[in-house]
Amino acid sequence: MNQHGWLARSLAGGAALALGLTMAGCSGGSGAASRPENEIHVAVYGDAGNTVEQKMIDTFNATSDVKVVLDKIPGAEYQSKLQTIIDTPTAPDIFFNWGGGSIKNFVEADLVLPLDDFIKEDPQLKDAFLPSVFETAVIDDKAYGIPMRGTQPVMLFNNSKVLADAGIANPPETWDELLDDVKILKDKGITPIALGGADRWPTLMWVEYVYDRVAGEGLFQKALEGDTSVWESEESRKALGMLRELVDAGAFGTNFDSVKFTDGGSPALLASGKAGFELMGSWEYATQQSSDPQFAAEVLGYSEFPKIEGGLGDEDNLVGNTNNFYSIHKNTRYPEAARDFLKLMYSDQFVQEQVGIGNLPTTTNTEKFLDNAADPEYAKYQFNLVKEAPSFQLSWDQAYPPEATVTIHTAVAQFFSGQIDEAGFIKAMQSL
Amino acid sequence: MTTTLAPRRRPARPGGTNEVRPAGRGGSSVGRPGFVWALPASIFFALFALVPLLAVAVLSFTSWSGLGDPKFVGLKNWEALFDDPVMLQSLWLSLLFIVLGIVTQTPLSILLGVWAAGNQRNRAILSAIYFVPLLLSSAAISVLWRALLDPNFGIPGQLSWLFGDGNVLGTQTGAIAVLIFVGMWQFTPFHTLIYQGAARQIPSVLYQAASIDGAGTVRQFFSITLPQLKNSIVTSVILMVVGGLTTFETVLILTNGGPGTSTTITAFHMYQEAFRRFDFGTGSAIALVLVVISTAISFAVVRLSGYDKMRSSLEGL
Repeated sequence: MNQHGWLARSLAGGAALALGLTMAGCSGGSGAASRPENEIHVAVYGDAGNTVEQKMIDTFNATSDVKVVLDKIPGAEYQSKLQTIIDTPTAPDIFFNWGGGSIKNFVEADLVLPLDDFIKEDPQLKDAFLPSVFETAVIDDKAYGIPMRGTQPVMLFNNSKVLADAGIANPPETWDELLDDVKILKDKGITPIALGGADRWPTLMWVEYVYDRVAGEGLFQKALEGDTSVWESEESRKALGMLRELVDAGAFGTNFDSVKFTDGGSPALLASGKAGFELMGSWEYATQQSSDPQFAAEVLGYSEFPKIEGGLGDEDNLVGNTNNFYSIHKNTRYPEAARDFLKLMYSDQFVQEQVGIGNLPTTTNTEKFLDNAADPEYAKYQFNLVKEAPSFQLSWDQAYPPEATVTIHTAVAQFFSGQIDEAGFIKAMQSL
Repeated sequence: MTTTLAPRRRPARPGGTNEVRPAGRGGSSVGRPGFVWALPASIFFALFALVPLLAVAVLSFTSWSGLGDPKFVGLKNWEALFDDPVMLQSLWLSLLFIVLGIVTQTPLSILLGVWAAGNQRNRAILSAIYFVPLLLSSAAISVLWRALLDPNFGIPGQLSWLFGDGNVLGTQTGAIAVLIFVGMWQFTPFHTLIYQGAARQIPSVLYQAASIDGAGTVRQFFSITLPQLKNSIVTSVILMVVGGLTTFETVLILTNGGPGTSTTITAFHMYQEAFRRFDFGTGSAIALVLVVISTAISFAVVRLSGYDKMRSSLEGL
């Protein structure tokens, strides 16, 4: 090597060092001051519902100096992305969430603005919404979220043509009727109930409902608050025994572990008449409608989850996604503007737009607009279910913080496929 | 370095600079590449590989969910890792995937590659078709096969003599078989390409000599082609090992690690711990285990195969 080599080497070394230092310098600093001026960023779950979110933003921006910007994050990775950016200077000012466990960690890390002072000034921010839904985003008696989309209760859907052909006049009202229907359909060579077991969360819906009906909503609430002994209770074992009985009766066929809801597998089973029932969130209707509008309008039936005799839970209790919420980041530069934006979530325009795309908002004025829904009968049925429900349990995988999801999903899938028994399920739930 | 040019160097002029002037190279005065030449790549490697690796090493001794500051917890993550049945199982599964991947892909891609190196009729067109999977993204391939394997509306529904009730992805054996098959479908073209290139480099005199000695096609394949492809086989196997250890998208989309945890291989387990359970400490520890294992395996393969001595397979020709 000659002298030039040494010179270049030391220069380059210095450059590399300087580069490293500059980068270290960049990573410092957060808080309101480093955020963009006159802008509020709203992070939402990216899907078809974004059109309404954008319209509300346009309405807001028309009269505001602080402009709202919509950041759409692809749905499947929403929670991962949010958790990765929320404690950085690029965190959104307002963010979409499911209430409950989905914001619990953020609240504990002091990243979410409590809305109670805003509610004191404008009680409508709370009173304009159905209480059972609003409660989902209340943590330690403080409100952290405003409902911003539609409610999605889980219901038992059916193919009315398949039921009629099998001589089943009405959807089952009790667990015993459900078991009878399972036997009738199975004997006819039809998979009684379509289940997207590979997605795992559809399986969880069965577990949630049976637990709620058998043990009441209290059992899960206690477990959530840290009393894991409830999983060993008599009711818990009874619920697991009933689920086992249902699976062993062949209610879901034998290949549900290979079927997904998300790729259209299980909805197609129902629509094609290869299955009689499917337990699913209210979006089943929209899913069926997009592939076969006629089937959705004429053949698709729906009913409440059957009641269970001797169970402690109310027969009108619901489980599902109560709604989605907007929460405000504590470090936002413009809390007042964010508050004013949230006030749009109970406006007539918001409700009309949501109803227009098939969502069912949970404001008290929603009822006025249900006649404009795509299927007013379905919209009213659902709205009454939610309004009358003594308890509306948020899905377990949303009620727990996100780190519990893998454990819950694996446990229900393994329990249904027989890889673990009751004791294994109880142990998994107690590990949370 | 300059010593290789020594015989051609002119005597240094008295009092002149120690100028090197290689003759017959267009008069260029640039010597062999020095440290500076490697600088851009080195900086890139340091910033995007070494620095993150160090960060991961530090994170593996902390508890961090992405919120607030990482908390130092000593060896807690590592101790938990050795007691984690899913982790131990995932290592066995990863090993199984690598071995099955090599066993299924290597023979097929050698045969296809050697065939594609020839000048048969229609060879170019057929080769082009074989290479199509190489152009598709892993995610697209996984979604495609997921749909094709739907038990009620896909292939298994039509071939019940082979697939039974169609619960292919619902059993451990079935799910592993699917992942190996899809991996083979996806990566064989790439390795075929390696072997095609290598097979074209084999001097035709070897084959001519062999046929004079009376060796048939099969004998020629085993006595000339295979030995001549040795270095390419090592390269291909190392790529399969490293690729097998980091297989991720196909597992995520096709089986989601299931049924249960039956196909949770180490790389997927790492993703699950870090980005689903938000336990970046444990995720980082798993990542380090992967780094150590893949480095060790590559090193062992290189050593055992004599690849590090870089002996030419054309010596004596």
